[in-house]
Amino acid sequence: MANLSVKLCGVDLKNPVIAASGTYGFGREFNELYDIGTIGGVSTKGLTLEPRLGNPVPRIAESRGVILNAVGLQNPGVEHFIENDLEWLKSTGTCVIANVAGKTLDDYEKICARLSGLVDMIELNISCPNVRSGGMAFGIKPETVEEVTRVAKKGAKNTPLIVKLSPNVESIANNAKAAERGGADCVSLINTLTGMAIDIERRRPIIANNTGGVSGAGVKPIAVRMVYEASQAVKIPVIGMGGITCAEDAIEFLMAGATAVQVGTANFTDPYAMPKIIKGLNDWCDRHNVANVSELTGTLQLNGR
Amino acid sequence: MKDYIATIVKNEKIAENIHAVTFDLGEEPKVRCGQFGNISVGGTHLLRRPIAICKTEGTTVTFCYQIKGEGTQKLRDLEAGTKLNVLMPLGNGFYVEDNEKKIALVGGGVGVFPLISVLREYYGDKIVSAYIGYRNKGAVCGVEEFMKATRFVGVTDDGSYGEKMNAVQAFQADLEKGNRPDVVLACGPTPMLRALKTLVEKENLNCYVSLEERMGCGIGACLVCVCDQTNGKKARVCKDGPVFNSRDISL
Repeated sequence: MANLSVKLCGVDLKNPVIAASGTYGFGREFNELYDIGTIGGVSTKGLTLEPRLGNPVPRIAESRGVILNAVGLQNPGVEHFIENDLEWLKSTGTCVIANVAGKTLDDYEKICARLSGLVDMIELNISCPNVRSGGMAFGIKPETVEEVTRVAKKGAKNTPLIVKLSPNVESIANNAKAAERGGADCVSLINTLTGMAIDIERRRPIIANNTGGVSGAGVKPIAVRMVYEASQAVKIPVIGMGGITCAEDAIEFLMAGATAVQVGTANFTDPYAMPKIIKGLNDWCDRHNVANVSELTGTLQLNGR
Repeated sequence: MKDYIATIVKNEKIAENIHAVTFDLGEEPKVRCGQFGNISVGGTHLLRRPIAICKTEGTTVTFCYQIKGEGTQKLRDLEAGTKLNVLMPLGNGFYVEDNEKKIALVGGGVGVFPLISVLREYYGDKIVSAYIGYRNKGAVCGVEEFMKATRFVGVTDDGSYGEKMNAVQAFQADLEKGNRPDVVLACGPTPMLRALKTLVEKENLNCYVSLEERMGCGIGACLVCVCDQTNGKKARVCKDGPVFNSRDISL
């Protein structure tokens, strides 16, 4: 049995496998299938100060090897989460990461302040491609990434702050550095890539929002490259995600520089994807005489030219 | 809810563009009429296909599906013996109160198949009238099941089978003759459900409709398949539904 535990910004995780925001709700539905206390962490559905109804339907489409979604941050609001879900989620024993979004800098500071001390970590969503105002607007340029991080950190105080980076940018390394300068304790990437899928019979996009965020197995090589570039650029830990379907995929991200990983779309294809990945990580480590999974982080060696 | 490793025992065409696949689950599932399964077709298809359960017999379950895209084409081409993951049963299903003795089933298109599950659950106990609309004669299917209803009215859009009208018009014609049910259960295209909602509200009838929407997880976590409730909130079609009282939702 390998030691799968990892330390992320001072927080102990049973293993490096975290549920990605938006694919896992607050964990209740998956807990009907397996004990979610066995997974490393849960990044909650993106929370905002006020409840949001989200986008019209259809909100999802499929293309070979990927999916597109545009849910539009539907959520019951942070107060509803604190009152109805937080204690339960903590009681499962998993690491609770509150994913938060806002329209203004002030929103980000307020929501982080509200959750400070209540959750294990806060993940800043500055890269949601599916809402018109705010969100992604902060995530594009390094200057605004730094600014929103600094403001959020003021609210989050001692609760570790993860900044979730958008891949729809000029330089992922520069944005990762900007988050670090702003005071981020960790960066996570990649959020979804902006895409479109068309129903050719109707000559219209399938998704009501026209564009949606692309995720799933097909985006993995892009994500691995970006995680590598980001982890080279910063000293803070990196959480890698994008198309992870099996343990071998997760190991690629760890080797590229990630301390932990998130699993999203794979939860739709196989609701047991995360327990299977955790078991697969242990088996791989055992077969390769790796005593601690944390030893794998950043062990990638580039080919000589 | 369980993710069965299900073995295909039969997969055949039953009408124009409609196929029926029967799986052996290896154990008898506990299913309510109107529930659905989320079927993984594998390969590059990352989303499962949510399809209504048409019937269960012992350890087998049958789903009827329309060939719509690459996923259902792939499902169509799978042969007996193939194993697929089927997460089921999902959703709430139809429920009829003890004092509701007379049921009207109103269905159109692929919406007729969950109504077969209702008929199989209640025939013998209830007086069931089925009003079923098809596009044309080639699309007619499930008749051997609907014939078990107390009364079956099959109609088509072009009059090539039964009268030329839709299922809601067939139901309305019977209402006007005084054949009034205690509860209406319906599934079909949104325009059909919209017309039915208007009719049952005018007639003050209790009506449940089963909705269809593009889904992500199928278990209520991802908030992809929502519908509008009349209270201004959203409901999850996969978890809070797919069956809703027609009063509670906007169509």
